[in-house]
Amino acid sequence: MPNQCIHCSEIYGDGSEEVLKGCSKCGSRFFFYISEDKLKKIRESSEEEIKLSSEEKRQIEEDVRDIVGIKEDEAPIVMDFESVKVLKPGKYLLDIQNLFSKERPLVYKLEDGKYIVDLVASLNRSDEKTI
Amino acid sequence: MIRILKDLSKRILNSLFGRKEDIKLGFYGPPNAGKTSLANVICKDWTGEDIGKVSDVPHETRHVQVKEKVEIDYKGKKLTFKIADTPGIATKVDYEDFLKYKMNKGTAKKRAKEATQGIIESIKWLDDMDAIIVVLDASQNPYSQVNITVVGNIVARKKPVLIVGNKIDLRKANLKKIEAAFPDYEVVGISARKKKNMDDFYEALFRLAKKI
Repeated sequence: MPNQCIHCSEIYGDGSEEVLKGCSKCGSRFFFYISEDKLKKIRESSEEEIKLSSEEKRQIEEDVRDIVGIKEDEAPIVMDFESVKVLKPGKYLLDIQNLFSKERPLVYKLEDGKYIVDLVASLNRSDEKTI
Repeated sequence: MIRILKDLSKRILNSLFGRKEDIKLGFYGPPNAGKTSLANVICKDWTGEDIGKVSDVPHETRHVQVKEKVEIDYKGKKLTFKIADTPGIATKVDYEDFLKYKMNKGTAKKRAKEATQGIIESIKWLDDMDAIIVVLDASQNPYSQVNITVVGNIVARKKPVLIVGNKIDLRKANLKKIEAAFPDYEVVGISARKKKNMDDFYEALFRLAKKI
């Protein structure tokens, strides 16, 4: 699935090395997965900007890193699924059934239907694939 | 499979030689139901110390609080518990809800972030518990998504569960509604604040311990 940089909204294809090394436009390592359908919609409607202020994006990244427990700023986070949505700094929606479910990873999502974080998978990836 | 075998051998050993390990007892439920208040009554009664701070502001407990070696000697029977008081589980945490408690925006946002972290932590601890006390506010509607999901997931993990309807001293309290919502589980009504019906609670707790 393609990834979108949360800070500058740049879109990268599946498996792009920018996700590991940082966005080539703004250097951020904070991305979310984006489905092909969503990508198509974004391209058609040209609404690729994420509707949060840069201060809100920065705060959300800081909060998510804190909640996830990733200390290094360099570790990339790719967000996926929908267990925990971060609507804005200080506003969270939790799908507790997903959180209870062992089969599904723990996740975050920013703004309804758009911005997503994957907690467990991000952590596992850093162990297993050194993302 | 390994976990099932481990649990089984633990049960056999416990029944043959008596329980050697302390019973890990988790307090779960929605925010502001009185989990910490009840855990405090128990800890104060049997160790002389509280487990944590209580407050009217929701999400006061934002990390799992543990009290080891809580030895309860009730009517000649003794059991030792490791008590884990967990942060309240919610489907929504919004800093704006804290602003009415005269909290500034920054503090409220920090509290919301920590509360979210706390919910995740609570759920992670569940697998490590031997038995669960679900604490509900008897003056609130028990048919909430949180209550049903929490109880359902505890039962799905085959953990013995006791449901406590707290705040029965309040005029709006309705224990029958909790009993109707969870007919398959034992429900005990108490008031942690007024230490009401604690004898019934301890009786039920010892019955719960037998199910482990």
